Amino acid sequence: MSEVRVGVFVCHCGSNIGGVVDVPAVVEHARALPHVAHAEHNLYSCSEAGLSSLQRSIREHSLNRVVVAACTPRTHEPLFRTACQQAGLNRYLLEFVNIREHCSWIHSREPGKATEKAITLVKMGVVKACLLEPQEEAQSAVAPAALVIGGGVAGMSAALNLARQGFQVHLVEKQPRLGGRLLNLDRLGPTDEAAAAMIEPLIAAVVGHRSISVHMPASLAEIDGFVGNFRVRLGEGEGRSEVLVGTIIVATGAEVLQPEGLYGYGLFPNVVTHVELERRLKEDLPEIRSAVLINCVGSRIPDRPYCSRICCMQSLKNAMRLKARLPEARVAVLHRDQLTSGVQAERYYRSARQAGIRFFRYEPEQPPQVVGESRAEAVVVRDALRGRELSLPADLVVLATPLVPGPDNQALSRLLKVPLDESGFFLEAHAKLRPVEFATDGVYVCGTARWPADVAESVSQAYAAASKAAIPMRSGAVRAEAITAFSDRALCTGCGTCVVCCPFGAIARQPWEGGRLVAQVNTVQCKGCGCCVAACHSGAMQQRGTTDAQVLQMIEVCASV
Amino acid sequence: MSEASAPSVGRPRVIAFCCNWCSYAGADLAGVSRLQMPPDFHVIRVMCSGRVEPEWVIKAFAAGIDGVLVLGCHIGDCHYIDGNHRTAKRFALLKEMLSCTGIHPDRLLVDWISASEGGKFQRAVTEFVERVRQLGPVDARARTPLAEAPR
Amino acid sequence: MTDQWVLVIGAGIAGIQASIDLAQMGFQVYLVERTPSIGGRMAQLDKTFPTNDCAICILAPKMIECAGHENVHLLTYSEVLHADGRLGEFRVRVRRKPRYVDEGRCTGCGECVAKCPRRVADEFNLGLNRRKAAYLPFPQAVPRVMTIDPETCLFLTKREKNRCRLCEEVCQAGAIDWDQREEVIELEVGAIVLATGFDPYDVSPLKEYGFGTIRNVITGLQYERLVSASGPTGGELLRPTDGKHPRRIAFIQCVGSRDVNYNAFCSSVCCMFATKEAMLAHEHDREVSSTIFYTDLRAGGKRFQEFIARAQAEYQVSYVRGRPGCIAEDPETGNPIVRYEETTARALREMEVDLAVLCQALVPRRGHQELAALLGIELDEHGFVRAPNLLGNPADTTVPGILACGYCIRPQDIPESVAQASGAAARVAELLAAPAELVP
Repeated sequence: MSEVRVGVFVCHCGSNIGGVVDVPAVVEHARALPHVAHAEHNLYSCSEAGLSSLQRSIREHSLNRVVVAACTPRTHEPLFRTACQQAGLNRYLLEFVNIREHCSWIHSREPGKATEKAITLVKMGVVKACLLEPQEEAQSAVAPAALVIGGGVAGMSAALNLARQGFQVHLVEKQPRLGGRLLNLDRLGPTDEAAAAMIEPLIAAVVGHRSISVHMPASLAEIDGFVGNFRVRLGEGEGRSEVLVGTIIVATGAEVLQPEGLYGYGLFPNVVTHVELERRLKEDLPEIRSAVLINCVGSRIPDRPYCSRICCMQSLKNAMRLKARLPEARVAVLHRDQLTSGVQAERYYRSARQAGIRFFRYEPEQPPQVVGESRAEAVVVRDALRGRELSLPADLVVLATPLVPGPDNQALSRLLKVPLDESGFFLEAHAKLRPVEFATDGVYVCGTARWPADVAESVSQAYAAASKAAIPMRSGAVRAEAITAFSDRALCTGCGTCVVCCPFGAIARQPWEGGRLVAQVNTVQCKGCGCCVAACHSGAMQQRGTTDAQVLQMIEVCASV
Repeated sequence: MSEASAPSVGRPRVIAFCCNWCSYAGADLAGVSRLQMPPDFHVIRVMCSGRVEPEWVIKAFAAGIDGVLVLGCHIGDCHYIDGNHRTAKRFALLKEMLSCTGIHPDRLLVDWISASEGGKFQRAVTEFVERVRQLGPVDARARTPLAEAPR
Repeated sequence: MTDQWVLVIGAGIAGIQASIDLAQMGFQVYLVERTPSIGGRMAQLDKTFPTNDCAICILAPKMIECAGHENVHLLTYSEVLHADGRLGEFRVRVRRKPRYVDEGRCTGCGECVAKCPRRVADEFNLGLNRRKAAYLPFPQAVPRVMTIDPETCLFLTKREKNRCRLCEEVCQAGAIDWDQREEVIELEVGAIVLATGFDPYDVSPLKEYGFGTIRNVITGLQYERLVSASGPTGGELLRPTDGKHPRRIAFIQCVGSRDVNYNAFCSSVCCMFATKEAMLAHEHDREVSSTIFYTDLRAGGKRFQEFIARAQAEYQVSYVRGRPGCIAEDPETGNPIVRYEETTARALREMEVDLAVLCQALVPRRGHQELAALLGIELDEHGFVRAPNLLGNPADTTVPGILACGYCIRPQDIPESVAQASGAAARVAELLAAPAELVP
């Protein structure tokens, strides 16, 4: 066996690590470790300069193992694996150590201790690296078909885009009609176009496209598999059906909060939500002389701290509609802040003021009061800017309530193994740079299932999700990370514990020498959890990249501190 | 083995096994949010908490690790469906056994932390390290260096 | 085949994301960028809200992934001169400006920069310090190749044989090439994606705020450079007059935004980035307290309200509703004095601070109007790209086959720009798959 030669690369990450951890000291300690042939530090290891230096050092010092001590492997490990591969080193001979999120950032008031900890973490990385073996990735084919869950504007837009790119699409909708929430709306902001004019052609295009199969009304019974090979069982009518898809897009939308018990809703017949108002606006509106629209009803409160982003625009839109229909009516909007970012929304807000709609700012500690006997008659509000109480006559009170997570989110998150955030919306892989992807490969999210969004944003995200889904489907294959389990058949007793333990059915017993049954792992189906390894009685099972030997060595390092 | 006093330089020694999908991500979020914690713990990343072997934990105590945290996804949210169910069962059993060996069961803690629970990671680690500090070092006389395991 | 080639104009985060998606889908991508490096405005930020992720830490891997992809052909330090044609067959002429450095030979060692004697205001650091005539725009620049600025370089401005040329002397790779000339190339592509981003609005005309006269009044983007580790002060928040650490900071929102005299629109990200900047100041120095003067607090994104709440609870950030009337200066200390009405209390007040930060309007990039004209796409009255079907096809411009994404369409933050960029890529894919079907 050739000599193990480890290279250690410690990153300053600007001052994110270097401002707390004494990086040169970490490098010094690393240099003195057994099998470490080279150690260096870089200001930004992930920059072109840092990566070039890494690759140059691999070649110059004939390194055959690499330890990078920097930020979190969850974002940067693939980048460094590729860099190693490009320098001629098998990509699995890299160990990534986190000394930023797990060290400098959480011990920033104790730089001495943070440095000691970084030294230990690097040492753990080195001992593990010494025991790493080169690995090859398994490949698997990707079915050129997508499942889109949800037949609203986002789901339909994503489905149509993928179908036009040439893929088969299965669109699943739980209601008996396509269109989602837009079916309930009259006009759409900020363009004021009719909702029907926007949604009906989309529905016709979806239904008419030969590559889109609409399953409606239908429910999701079971989803198993992994990217490229999801087996989806649907409940349709009386029966069940099964489809095989390569990718899945979640476009299940959200619900509008019903303001039960708030501002007289449910008590007074003339206190309505915007959806209820828009239904009336589509038909006919009774003569009213005054309307008061209240924003932030049930949102931006301790129980639900988020801002639902689209309601200010919705209030403006409907205030303008009311004013246009009934020019003599007195229309007022009670708000906390006006969320009209950008160009068109801000212009709309200006027009609304010029049209004579009055705006009053209220503070959350002093919310408006709706007063009346059998109907709402007025709204009393403390105008935060004038510092006095006003009583506004109100023939109609309209409440702007937030979008809240759909009722099926919990169940769907379990079916798909994707997380929800603290508010109950789907949680994307990375808030800034991966807004429509999940950490799980092959599953994507768009529209209000992810977060309150208007139509333009939802459609934009739907196209983005379609782009992400198209990538593996176009290439036709995905490579599985080489972190799979494998069995040493000589040690295996054929007890079958692992077979039962595997959540993915990836292990089966096969006859081996002398007809003896031993465990065999299907490398493509194996997802690398390692549960079978911990369950194995005989020590036959190991996991690539997390072997018992590697972990025990790391524990030993911690114990010697 | 019994609890006896031993030098406390560099103590307590705590290892936290974190699963890639939930608790490691939660630890990352705690870092991103700059939530401060005692530095006396080291994270070992595994893909699933179901990978963590009771044998590792026993050997860790024997080697002189004062506390072991096993952090996984919430029940029902395991990225690998039910890996954490096995974790829960295995370590419930191990905790029972630990009392028989003289190692205080509070030195082993299994908890569930999601990717969005940076604050919970901070609290869990801070409280655990303090508890282990109170318990004092695990008996140094019983320290057994870990033998070279076969590859 | 032309229809497998796409041109992306602008290599900020939106252009980079669109290029990566298109490349991974199998298209060949020309990525044209006017400055010497890809990265755009995000490279100038220290952290990004609401996670306070290190901006360059999450951007650099994307820059490398983009530049390293075999299907992406980078054309940095280049500009689009002319375009004609239609969806499926555009012909574009691109001018490659001479760097006077051979990209193939330059190792990025930086010796020429060290030896260069000429300095000029550094545009990346928004004039807060100076750079050399031979320069790399920022440490993580991609491609890592030096550029020599012909307007500053001693030799290039006079071309006298014995004038300077120190860079050539010290370059061990022999990469300095004075004979480089501008090159015009012709590209044939099936679709074009515009992602030209924004410029900070010049707020000097707003004399009441004293930018340009009161030295301790700076802009939001300048502030980002001050707190960045790669910035002019190495990441230390030092104020311009005396290099002291400011303890009291005022952030003025909507400077040049939401103002019919300058830009009537809302730049959408400033409430959040001011909050972020105030939090960073407190992280740098726990004695710092900040006040943000706002009109409407716009925080409608994921976890944005929690971000604001955390700023108030843990980072000594206060919010005052009122757009200040003016900023005066204490001549002895150089301290800005903010005069404002606290509208919710109907009180006229004055606040003396150590540093005032103007959250300036963000407007479409310089040169974007000319680019739009030569592409034949319509802009709105502010210079943003007009979307003929905003709700149905948000990435479309008024010319079929030319898409747009990111801030050049409308004010928006990074996640929205990234989603739009991927969206534009998907739109390109469907248009090029069946152009006749989709375009009458």
